[in-house]
Amino acid sequence: MNKSFLSLILAVAGWAVFHFGLFPIFTPAEPGMLINRYVYFLLFCFYLIIVNVGMKLKPAMALRALYVWMLGFYFYDHILSPHVPWTLFITYMMLWTIGTFLYISQDPVTFREFRAPIVKTIIGEYKLARIVAFSVLPVLVGWATYQSIYPSFAEPVELRTVHPAPPASTKVHGKTYMLEKISNPFRIDEQDNYKDSFPFLDADKQEYMKFVTEGGTIFFQNCHYCHGDQLNGLGMFAHAFNPTPANFIDPGTIAMLQESFLFWRVSKGGPGLPNESTPWSSAMPPWEEHLTTDEIWKVILFEYWYTGWHPRTFDDESAVGE
Amino acid sequence: MINKMKTGKKLIFLLALMVSFLLVGTASAGIPDPVKQDLLEKGKKVYFKRCVWCHGVEGGGDGPSADRLFTRPRNFIPGTFKIRVTDSGQLPTDNDLIKTVKNGLPGSAMPAWGEFLKEDEIQAVVQFVKSLVQDRDFNDEEDEEVELMEFGSNPWGTTGPYHLGIPQEAIDAGKEIFTKNKCFECHGGEGRGDGNPTMKDDWGFPILAADWQQCWNFRGSRRNHFDPFNVVRTISTGLNGTPMPNFREKITVEDRWKLAAFVNSLCPRKKIDKLTSKPIPDFLISSVYTEGDIVEKIDDPMWQSSDNDPLIIARSEEKAANPRRNYIALAGQITRGKRNFDPKVDNLWVSSRWNKDKGVYYLVEYHLRFLSSDAGFPDAVAIQWPAKLQDLFGAEKPYFIMGDSKKPVDVWRASFMPKDYNSTNAPKEEGYQLDVTVDEFNGRGFDALEPKETEPTVKVVDSIFHQGRVKILFHRALTTDGEMDVQIPPEQFIPISFFQWAGDDKEKDEHMAISTWYYTILEPPLPDSLYYMPPIMAVVFVGLQGWLVWMTKRTRKMYADGKVKRDDLPF
Ligand code: HEC
Ligand code: HEC
Ligand code: HEC
Repeated sequence: MNKSFLSLILAVAGWAVFHFGLFPIFTPAEPGMLINRYVYFLLFCFYLIIVNVGMKLKPAMALRALYVWMLGFYFYDHILSPHVPWTLFITYMMLWTIGTFLYISQDPVTFREFRAPIVKTIIGEYKLARIVAFSVLPVLVGWATYQSIYPSFAEPVELRTVHPAPPASTKVHGKTYMLEKISNPFRIDEQDNYKDSFPFLDADKQEYMKFVTEGGTIFFQNCHYCHGDQLNGLGMFAHAFNPTPANFIDPGTIAMLQESFLFWRVSKGGPGLPNESTPWSSAMPPWEEHLTTDEIWKVILFEYWYTGWHPRTFDDESAVGE
Repeated sequence: MINKMKTGKKLIFLLALMVSFLLVGTASAGIPDPVKQDLLEKGKKVYFKRCVWCHGVEGGGDGPSADRLFTRPRNFIPGTFKIRVTDSGQLPTDNDLIKTVKNGLPGSAMPAWGEFLKEDEIQAVVQFVKSLVQDRDFNDEEDEEVELMEFGSNPWGTTGPYHLGIPQEAIDAGKEIFTKNKCFECHGGEGRGDGNPTMKDDWGFPILAADWQQCWNFRGSRRNHFDPFNVVRTISTGLNGTPMPNFREKITVEDRWKLAAFVNSLCPRKKIDKLTSKPIPDFLISSVYTEGDIVEKIDDPMWQSSDNDPLIIARSEEKAANPRRNYIALAGQITRGKRNFDPKVDNLWVSSRWNKDKGVYYLVEYHLRFLSSDAGFPDAVAIQWPAKLQDLFGAEKPYFIMGDSKKPVDVWRASFMPKDYNSTNAPKEEGYQLDVTVDEFNGRGFDALEPKETEPTVKVVDSIFHQGRVKILFHRALTTDGEMDVQIPPEQFIPISFFQWAGDDKEKDEHMAISTWYYTILEPPLPDSLYYMPPIMAVVFVGLQGWLVWMTKRTRKMYADGKVKRDDLPF
């Protein structure tokens, strides 16, 4: 029993050192191969095993079971990142509790060993333990009841399809376009030839850069408030909108879309979306109301030039990025 | 110690002492960091891809975006820079400019480039920006001088992100320094920037004093929004090109820290998103169930809550049950119709109470430096609801800008004019009463608004404009007879959103500020079972424990009496 007590002290003290001393070190802003939270957790497990095996502490079965259970709790509540939702957490912990029981009842001996201190507490052989357990547990039950009855509300989670299937055709400024058939009339050359060109300065010499400059001008008069001066969806108004404006730097937006899709999205904006994409809350303006068709194509040209992405094309399904 | 020295030595010692005192507060003079010519080519590349759109081809602050930005992009030609550690009127150091480019200038369109450009690109573009300056010369060792200001250090050793724990005495002392130095003439009596509507900056554009209660919009916040150092730097160096002077001669370094502590104490502690330099909105407005009477007076303790996030600063005991003030982010309406690129208000604070008899109350507050004096353009704020809540399926909502043809909205708008008000008046202690008119209308699109023909149901029961802040208390019964009125069910998530019009800026109709859809819920009263169930469960559990003891003892006894045979596994 005394050895069990020693084991408990070493476990708690060790945890404190690990949790407050090492955990911050193992969770830097950019986790590495070795310096990450999971390695930290493994180290802590090793510590527990080594201390108990190395010092031949042989803690009581009930204590061992407690260690196993707490390790699971610590892992799901603290190590696993990002934290799983509450309901899932409960499910995991139930499974883990069942696992702990399997560990306890692996054979009748361990089970009885596990039971022994509990029985002794119940019948009063461990007097102090009985007093503590029998007075604390009812309070805990009362508190848990209070917690479960107390009404609490979290805002509903909403899912939306970011890239819905586009329609077959779209009508902009009175003209109907078959989306599969159209391409950007201003994409007159290979974009990569103009990587190092200057907007404004080269606009006189290179026709492509003239279109890019015009597109950029439209972007910085209309779009940067939401999509950001860096095209990263962090414009000065962006934080006020939900869903947040698209981040064009991200490989998941314009990099994997066709220009004709963009033409439809830019022309029709939020209100043009189907219901699964929550058209009622998208702040994306239907730009046909403010821009000409040519201007829409030019701003699209600019977005690809600025980010360096290439639009996806019909014949080359996987042409993505630089 | 001085007594033991000879007189001559004493004198020299005293002199040295005096000189060192003089040095504190002005510190080392030197020459500007010269332009690093070898970086210019690279800097030009970055500039012409990233910065030219706002700052213009020649750095004149006349890029294509300029005309639609309220704080216009900086014109680099005169060499005037706001955020520096150098003396007023002097050029900035390289380090100042690098920090500015990395952290951006919050509250303006100038974004933070630190996460976007590489370190060497930032170094280079800063040199290129310096080369665009024409009226001054970073390479002129003779006529240009820079003195690095001495700022002392944080006397309380507080740390970010929230810099809590500055003693109240320091803050109170700071308040006196504030009064003595008349910061209120520009920044207003409570620091909301409502002191002077007629200021111009050096480039001839109108400029407003900073709102201290929104310190995340401080240009020089360096994304450490609650750090008093930012304020110490501002009052030590002034902001070049703006009416914001330096107070180096008038306020000692020590006092500057106290003043900074006061200024920062006004700024509510909210979680700030580093990427946007704005507080994270509170997407759920919980309406607190209120037993009995709901007082229809804004200054009643019932409606007093702190703007601080209760998770950062715990609320005081007596206000713990008051409704939380929820931060609602606003943006210019730049989606449909006549767009508003420079809204004057960028957030609202909303709190709410309800009960079945009295109905529901929404207190809407926002900072606005100056109200309109033109009755053709009154100030206004509105709450938008789905008009037919019962017809919405799942997450469905009406279009957030005044609804759509299939899903109409119900809008409660309070338009108001302050009484006896002129924007150039000195701050008025008790604030201004408002002449409020409420109108209710339905929207089926921003260009399809229909005033309601049914009896008015929404009232504004109290309102005030006080020191640059508008407060409007809306009231309505939970249900009405109007077919196109929202019927508000308790315990349900209901979409809600807000509009705001600044009359002073001639905002009207869809030329306004908007929020996205939020949710509100009328929280149920605490169930009675909350009070009796826990003890019952505890008592039941005690009974269970007794039963367990009895059972276990009985089994033991049966073993002992040999009535039951124990298995003979080793133990
Ligand atoms: C008022 C804010 C706002 C403005 C201004 C705005 N957008 Fe958007 N935009 C959004 C939002 C919000 C989304 C994401 C939600 C959605 O899909 O509708 C979006 C999405 C997009 C998408 C779809 C990206 C994808 O991955 O599907 C494109 C393309 C786009 N915007 C282009 C533009 C262009 C070009 C302009 C300027 C002419 C512009 N936007 C101006 C708010 C805005
Ligand atoms: C969307 C427009 C926009 C873009 C793009 C932009 N800026 Fe700015 N910038 C501004 C605005 C607006 C101001 C003025 C803010 C103020 O005066 O409060 C400014 C001010 C500045 C200042 C003056 C700082 C001071 O202390 O007074 C510098 C330096 C600067 N920008 C550098 C850059 C650099 C370098 C880039 C490109 C990497 C850039 N800006 C891109 C809008 C922009
Ligand atoms: C003559 C008018 C005037 C007086 C007096 C004045 N200010 Fe200012 N202050 C301004 C203006 C204008 C700005 C906004 C500058 C801008 O937007 O670039 C400003 C901005 C600020 C800022 C924000 C700086 C930032 O990083 O954006 C702080 C802090 C500040 N003032 C503190 C003070 C304090 C403290 C006092 C009194 C000791 C004071 N001001 C007195 C006009 C004034």
